[in-house]
Amino acid sequence: MRITATLRHLIGPIELLHEQAGPRLLRLARLGIFLLWIVKLLLDPLWRLAELPREMFKPVGVLAFLPASAVDAFLTWNGLAALLVFTLGVLVVALTDKAFPFVATVAAVLLTIYSSTIRSFGPAVHTDIVLLLAVYALAAFAWADWFALKFGGKKTVPGAWSSYPLITIVAMLCLSYCLVGLNRSIAGGARVFTGDTMEVWAIDASLRGYYFNTNIGWHIPEWPTVVFMLRSGLPVITVFEITAPLCLAVPHYRWIFMPVMLSFHLMSLVFMNIFFFDDMLLYLLLIDWSRRFPALRNRNS
Amino acid sequence: MTAPARTPRRVHPGISGTIIAVCVATIIYQISFAVPLRLAGQAYMLIVILLAFRYWPPMIRWVKSMPVAHRVVFAVLIGSMTAGHYTLNGRTYFPYVTWEIFPFVNERDPVTCREFIATTNSGHKVRLLVEQLFPSVVQVDSVELMDDPQYYPPGTTEHLARALAKVYNELHADDPVWRVDLMLLAVQLHPPASESRATPSCELLQRYDISSGQ
Repeated sequence: MRITATLRHLIGPIELLHEQAGPRLLRLARLGIFLLWIVKLLLDPLWRLAELPREMFKPVGVLAFLPASAVDAFLTWNGLAALLVFTLGVLVVALTDKAFPFVATVAAVLLTIYSSTIRSFGPAVHTDIVLLLAVYALAAFAWADWFALKFGGKKTVPGAWSSYPLITIVAMLCLSYCLVGLNRSIAGGARVFTGDTMEVWAIDASLRGYYFNTNIGWHIPEWPTVVFMLRSGLPVITVFEITAPLCLAVPHYRWIFMPVMLSFHLMSLVFMNIFFFDDMLLYLLLIDWSRRFPALRNRNS
Repeated sequence: MTAPARTPRRVHPGISGTIIAVCVATIIYQISFAVPLRLAGQAYMLIVILLAFRYWPPMIRWVKSMPVAHRVVFAVLIGSMTAGHYTLNGRTYFPYVTWEIFPFVNERDPVTCREFIATTNSGHKVRLLVEQLFPSVVQVDSVELMDDPQYYPPGTTEHLARALAKVYNELHADDPVWRVDLMLLAVQLHPPASESRATPSCELLQRYDISSGQ
């Protein structure tokens, strides 16, 4: 009996994240997501891609549908700069609530083209995919609100609607972690966790160097403690990745998940030069703000 | 006198969930001769996780509270993401990609990497990294892959070296690079006891004279 009570105390309450979220919280989330994209684009000299050898361009996603002549016109200084400026303009308009479903949809299309372009010169890496999917969610739920209000009749009460996109974004974030964890444990098998794999990945990433370069990772074989940390850390992180969907339901779990995964992302930066700062900022949505601040709560809840 | 109405017996959600999970496992086992374990195993585990949420009362309440349009959006967004993962394709259906980070065993020793090291007019050595000179690109394929005719046409590496040098020189007009060396770096994971553990060895693979090419 006492064990059950202790266990129950440790697990804590089980409640759906953002269930009580109101329109103000949704508005803040929208602002945060679009501002993050604006900052990312402002820091990006996209036009420089015109200098890269054309043979490196292997179209990703929608870009594969473009004819060769359109690609040639697009991959110029002018074409890339135009995409950047136009996307920035639409994102700025999306910060307002003016015709939000339409503007957010245009933003989603432009960001998809932008994200496909920067990935067409290499592998389709995962950074900022959830951030892009978050824009999809904001646009699609805005249309759903519009449809429900227009065709839903008098029964329609839009009270809880603000929670839908927020919960969906968190669900997509958690699902991305979960799928990564499942893939590693099933496709990679036990050997991924027991052999030299983690050190090899870390040294490889460190030798190659990316935008961030700490030049630390290739020293890993010199440091047995770090080797131990990497080897023992991978299975732990994989467990957290697979169980990430619990973040939707268990507040106590969220408060363990966030520091563990944040430290994992920081270690990836230090030893592997890989930085998932988009995901780290999306962790702000793992905090149930509406339960803490009544002003952010849905008034009907 | 009528008999009291019998309340219908309800199966505990946990039991019905377990039965469904076992049935799905059996089906997956049956078709696993056709579907690779990589897919079947992941699908099975994901179904178990989704079932757990399917029977969780707050989730049921939340989904039931949604108007139809919102339910459709929720299902399409989550469904597309899941379906994209099982295509095992990272490019065609972007942003619905296969989610994989360190997904296979990688135990090569030594760990090698090809890298561009440039020499400036003042004699300084600088690393030319695509991800720094072209920050839009999060990651490019390795130079090893660019030298593989299966993936890239011949000459791609040299064209890239020249493109990197050109952009570098635009940004550092006061001390431009005039030569780019393609180096092979290697770090031994388990070197002989007499050797240093983590000093990368360097080997020159190719030299590109940039001043003559511009």
